[in-house]
Amino acid sequence: MGKAEHIVFVCPRFPEGPTVGGAETLLKHLAQLALESGRKVSFLTTCARNHFTWDNEIPAGNKNIDGIDVHFFPVDNRDTCTFLTVQDKICKGKVISEKEELLWINNSVNSTPLYTHLREHSAEYDKIVTGPYLFGIIHEVSRIAPEKTVLVPCLHDEPYAYLKIFNKMFNSVSGFMFNTHPEEELAIHMHGISRHKKTVVGIGISPFNTDKNGFKKRTGLSSPYIIYSGRREVMKGTPLILDYLAAFRARTGIDLKFVITGTGEMEIPRNIKNHVIDLGFVSEDLKHEAMAGAVAFCHPSIYESLGIVILESWMALTPVIVHANSTVLRYQCQQSNGGLWFRTYTEFEEELLLLINNQPLAQKMAESGRKYVLREYTKDAVKSRMMRFLDDN
Amino acid sequence: MSDNIFEIGTDNIDVTKIVDEIRMSVEKKTRDGLFVDSRISRAEKLNLPNLKDDESFMTFYLECLKDAIIVDISDFEITERRSGMGFFLVPVKRLIWKFLKFYTYRLWSQQNQSNGLLLSAIESMNTQYKKKISQLEERLATIEKQNK
Repeated sequence: MGKAEHIVFVCPRFPEGPTVGGAETLLKHLAQLALESGRKVSFLTTCARNHFTWDNEIPAGNKNIDGIDVHFFPVDNRDTCTFLTVQDKICKGKVISEKEELLWINNSVNSTPLYTHLREHSAEYDKIVTGPYLFGIIHEVSRIAPEKTVLVPCLHDEPYAYLKIFNKMFNSVSGFMFNTHPEEELAIHMHGISRHKKTVVGIGISPFNTDKNGFKKRTGLSSPYIIYSGRREVMKGTPLILDYLAAFRARTGIDLKFVITGTGEMEIPRNIKNHVIDLGFVSEDLKHEAMAGAVAFCHPSIYESLGIVILESWMALTPVIVHANSTVLRYQCQQSNGGLWFRTYTEFEEELLLLINNQPLAQKMAESGRKYVLREYTKDAVKSRMMRFLDDN
Repeated sequence: MSDNIFEIGTDNIDVTKIVDEIRMSVEKKTRDGLFVDSRISRAEKLNLPNLKDDESFMTFYLECLKDAIIVDISDFEITERRSGMGFFLVPVKRLIWKFLKFYTYRLWSQQNQSNGLLLSAIESMNTQYKKKISQLEERLATIEKQNK
């Protein structure tokens, strides 16, 4: 295989403004690194911003964003009723036929104009890098030119991942770029891809220094607080943290607050409404400042293939607390010695009390986390891992 | 393990060891009944992995239910935080409580009785089903053995 001169990235959404999503951010980041390596980079995506409605909000067409040639294509009309009916069966663990699986993926997020464009121009691209695995677009794109398709699956152990259509997809593409080793192991175990070309790439985090008291000074907040950044959804575990906060405040008597940034609807229980500071979508600088002043960054999600916000939190010198059932987040904590993990509220309470009452330990954990990020997740390290893989395979 | 987990040192930290120590501390406190608290069971209702498959979680739920099921209608010490008003407000509060108790005692005692019966029914169902499932599993294992 020759050098990958022209690389096209395909992702259901392009992160710009309030479009927040870890996988989308990752794909854009990889595209930027490829651009910095002097390669020609295109980015195919949809006109959607909202990952619930998938409405076409952005005008179709080409736009140069941060040096990347981005092509926006409209999302096809879809039968959401059929999609949700089959999805419900999948989530409940019912056995469904391959015909139903196809019905589900065909009514997922698709874009016929995007497929047409890719079919017409696939010869121009040396590599097609696409992900996350879960969407109709990725499924279809992987069938257009599988021999040059590299999947960035962002895989986690969830019911969809076991579908036969995805097993076929994983076994048809030319290679994989994973975010972490546990994700790679999961893919091998789930889809038997031990002989496929693959590597662990991850995401590059730019080093930054932030004033630990900046956020408190800016907001006048005097109480200790925990923080979460990202999408607010049941599957991400945000309601769980709200419930934990209520119990923690009531049981310990500590006036702990919860700062949250990101997008998505969130119903805050009345009894803790005054103790939740919802900043919504904020600049990276403000997010990092808020992270720096927190007792801990809490990541309650069990479905993660990489904790980008955790890496940022360590860079901001804040330790993390994650859900023990997320193999990836737990792995990151173990590798870095920068975080703790909980299975139940009781463990969460003890860990948070430990970080509040043992400041030197919290500081040491945060420093370990930062060292880990600077060692494993610098832009140069990620860029070199990715470009070596794309050029050699 | 440190006697007090808050005294964990900072030399060569090992988070796996710290989490293990925390788990031991939680187990001890659980045995001592320090975590039998309905507020904890409420907080756990959205903890997805536990809802899926942890059998001990059912036991934990029942423990918390036992703790919270009885409405406390006993007398309690009535006080007044504003010291100057105490001589007047405490007797008034006692009087109000007596009236409230008089009118609500029958209601709450009936409620407590029905709560208690419901808890017993749930516990008995849980025990019966557990027994039944284990009998079925044994039968299944025997049948599988015979068919081999």
